[in-house]
Amino acid sequence: MPKEALLVRTLVELADSLVDDFDVVELLSLLADRCVEVLGVSAAGVMLVAPEGDLRVVASSSEAMRVVELFEVQSHEGPCLDCYSSGKAVLNEDLTAGRWPRFASVALDAGFRSVHALPMHLRGAVIGAINLFGTDEGPLSAEDVAAGQALAAVATIAILQQRVASESRVLIDQLNTALTSRVVIEQAKGVLAERAGRSTESAFEAMRHYARDRNLHLADVARGVVNRTLAPGALSAPRPQRPS
Amino acid sequence: MAGARLLRILARLEAGAATGPAPARLCEVCAEVTAMTGAGIMLMSGDVPGGSICSSNEVSALIEDLQYTLGEGPCVEAYQLDRAVLEPDLADPGVNRWVAFTPGAVKAGARAVFGFPLRVGAIRIGALNLYRDHPGPLDDDQHADALVLAGVAARAVLAMQADAPPGLLAAGLEAGSDLRSVVHQASGMVSAQLGVNVGEAFARLRAHAFAHDRPLTAVAKEVVARRLRFSDPSAPGLAD
Repeated sequence: MPKEALLVRTLVELADSLVDDFDVVELLSLLADRCVEVLGVSAAGVMLVAPEGDLRVVASSSEAMRVVELFEVQSHEGPCLDCYSSGKAVLNEDLTAGRWPRFASVALDAGFRSVHALPMHLRGAVIGAINLFGTDEGPLSAEDVAAGQALAAVATIAILQQRVASESRVLIDQLNTALTSRVVIEQAKGVLAERAGRSTESAFEAMRHYARDRNLHLADVARGVVNRTLAPGALSAPRPQRPS
Repeated sequence: MAGARLLRILARLEAGAATGPAPARLCEVCAEVTAMTGAGIMLMSGDVPGGSICSSNEVSALIEDLQYTLGEGPCVEAYQLDRAVLEPDLADPGVNRWVAFTPGAVKAGARAVFGFPLRVGAIRIGALNLYRDHPGPLDDDQHADALVLAGVAARAVLAMQADAPPGLLAAGLEAGSDLRSVVHQASGMVSAQLGVNVGEAFARLRAHAFAHDRPLTAVAKEVVARRLRFSDPSAPGLAD
């Protein structure tokens, strides 16, 4: 398949992940593989920053690539790290020029001659970087740089959006649980008020004391009252004595 | 341009931040920005209205109460269908929507009603209700603004909840909200009075409210104040 067509197809596939759930590692493995096919490089890899702040290797298009990337992370030296901290692309650096002495020797040993890195960023937030390595010394063309940045951009948006979505899901679950608990507590106030002949305020106090004395969640006590598994009499019973 | 709309709306919200609890201000801004007579925000979960976060006036509160009581209306539909629901002429005799909701809404003064689902990503959490006291459609700008407002409201609700202790509703959401405590308390009392589960008890309260053409909340208040009792399980809608 011609490179332009593959680029378009890859962008479409990445865009699909904007609407569907996806696995981040799978997405970035696809990205790494397609970078190799589309951008005229020999190997590609993706690093993402972990919540703790350190970069992690998430995907590599070959084992040789993975080894070099891991070394890059462990030695705190290399194009991806510079790209991540500056938020800017690192392009066409001469490995023999001495910018990354330890990394360069490992990369050269592995057969790589040219290295580039593109940031994965969105409006100032840099979430990682894409490593692009070549076995010849040729520079990356302007078209290839642009194509790589487009791929990086779509992958970044997909990952960020998925993070927001899963945080939102958690919050929505919490909201629904909180609302449901509220409802059952109010219902229990009514049930207890009726069955024990008390006011709803005093019914609430009785449940609160019961929950606190026995270290239970108020919502669970309320559920017991509503389901009739907890009798009104039990709520007025004296607190269990501790052995002295 | 969606970005410019969002900025304008957020600026309005910021401007009013000091005047009252956040949910109440949210509803006011919704009504102001869209030039509607009133606005309200309902939370819903699994097709069940969960309560009202805010209403900018009494008519909006009633519009929400009706939807809560009857389980139908522009917000309920917008939530269920996951799209905007627009009724520009509620009092038009040719309009057959919401047979139970419409007469009550019209009587209260609503002539046009619009519902927009509150969405966060693909998940709906409720709906925004807008009403006008004279008929007429939303123009393109109002419609676009309403879509942005619904998104802002959804995020605002989640942001408020994010600060809450686990298992509890955020204090910011409680203030200014009507979570229908009295209705739930009344359901509990009626369930004990009739020896039925709370779902059945709620249905009885609803039936009574409908049969007597009274708001559900008013009936619930009577029950909690012990001025109204239900004692005959076999007579739905009847009370002592």
